[in-house]
Amino acid sequence: MDIDDILREVDPASQSIPAETRDLQALTRAWVAERSSPELLRWPADGLFERVNDRIKQQIERVEEMTGDMDPKTNFALIVIQTELERFKYLVRSYLRARIAKIDQHTLHYLSSPDMRARLSETEQAYATRHQALLHNHYLSSFLSAFPPALQNLNDSAGNISMIDTPDTDTAVFIRLLKDSLVEGRGTDGDGIMDGKNGDIIILRWSDAKPLVDSGRAEVI
Amino acid sequence: MALPLPSGLVPAEVAFLCEMEMITIVPRQRLESIPMLSGNTPALRPPRRADLPLWLALLLKKQRRANIVPPPWLLPASLQEIIHIETNVDPQAFSPPPPPPMRSDGRGIARPYAVTTTTTTSSGRGGGGYGNANGRDEDPNTKELILAPPFLPSCTQDAPSGYLPYHWLEIAETLLAHAADDIPNAPEVRALLRDLQEVRAAKMRGSTQHLEGGGGVLNLRGVGAMELAESRGFVLGVVDGVRKLGASIEASRREEELERGDDGGDESDDDMEL
Repeated sequence: MDIDDILREVDPASQSIPAETRDLQALTRAWVAERSSPELLRWPADGLFERVNDRIKQQIERVEEMTGDMDPKTNFALIVIQTELERFKYLVRSYLRARIAKIDQHTLHYLSSPDMRARLSETEQAYATRHQALLHNHYLSSFLSAFPPALQNLNDSAGNISMIDTPDTDTAVFIRLLKDSLVEGRGTDGDGIMDGKNGDIIILRWSDAKPLVDSGRAEVI
Repeated sequence: MALPLPSGLVPAEVAFLCEMEMITIVPRQRLESIPMLSGNTPALRPPRRADLPLWLALLLKKQRRANIVPPPWLLPASLQEIIHIETNVDPQAFSPPPPPPMRSDGRGIARPYAVTTTTTTSSGRGGGGYGNANGRDEDPNTKELILAPPFLPSCTQDAPSGYLPYHWLEIAETLLAHAADDIPNAPEVRALLRDLQEVRAAKMRGSTQHLEGGGGVLNLRGVGAMELAESRGFVLGVVDGVRKLGASIEASRREEELERGDDGGDESDDDMEL
């Protein structure tokens, strides 16, 4: 701890939320959003996951070092550190698994356009591509090869009906407004417009909520 | 490998989330600062109070290393006031959520706690904080992060009484289960919470009446996380069911509106009602 740290701690103007805490907040929000939204969201672009993973690795190393000395005082700190480590790992794992579940469900949809592909991380793209290739090869060897060649594709769009299954973006979601903003929602009998206040919790369709969430004016809960 | 859970947080996940809420404790033992993944914990010096995440506070409580200070809204007087609001003042809507917490910026201006502007300089050790304090306009390096529960201090000793925070039910249940001796008049609190839960559950069920019409947006200001998790499946099922049943009506209505819109003039008067 140097003099800068001490100054920052007592200076209320710098609003000292450390970077680690901010990352936890961002990770939590990303997890909740991914768990509750009907379609795959964009992979965080600012390196959030790389940072969190690096820290988890460092923390594991620290735990390994600390298990060496059996001083009862550091022992308790070790328990706390390990508990928190498990909580972090749970968050990361649950987030990734929620994404994999969505990718598995609509693999071809997320691979179909560059715009959709951009939502996946590199590893997820590799996973989805290989998973899809394996599946298609399996289908080909087991029954598709008996079909006429024109019917062997999995992404036909003959007759204006695409074979690719897409997530239902009109599914209803709960959002919380983070800023006062106008909320417009489409409904069956009529469309609604509402003057939303900070902290409002609103049910509406995901397709109507998405612009609010993307611009940071609301979060999915 | 893929997560088998349905979309939307299940109650166990909500409970996990609520354990990130900050809560005030009175330490009984000295404890040095611990370097955690989410930042260092404050060094504990009895009897100086400190704010810690709930999971850590519970761990300390279990080992009798600390006592928990119940949040002001969990005291019987505050709960009675909230029940009064729920039943008499506004029997339709939920009681309002706590007002946004404020903090001083050291220059005599109160700023909302929830909004933090952070400078994402590549040097990492946020050095340029001072230059940015007054220039909050479109600086690409300044990123605005708006906090929301569970990262707002809505369960610490400074939280306002008379308002239920977002994670009220989970926090209250956890505290009553693991730290009942720290809560004054715990049996009464338990009874009041039960009343509150029932009043609000009735409101939650009642809110589905508004869902039938399919008005597009429905505001549930003040609802709690666990209440949402409980009725998420039902509420969202109703909304989606109504939408699917009325899909053809909606499509023809939209076509009509589009045609009218082409004739000229925005005739949107009739779809203003919620």
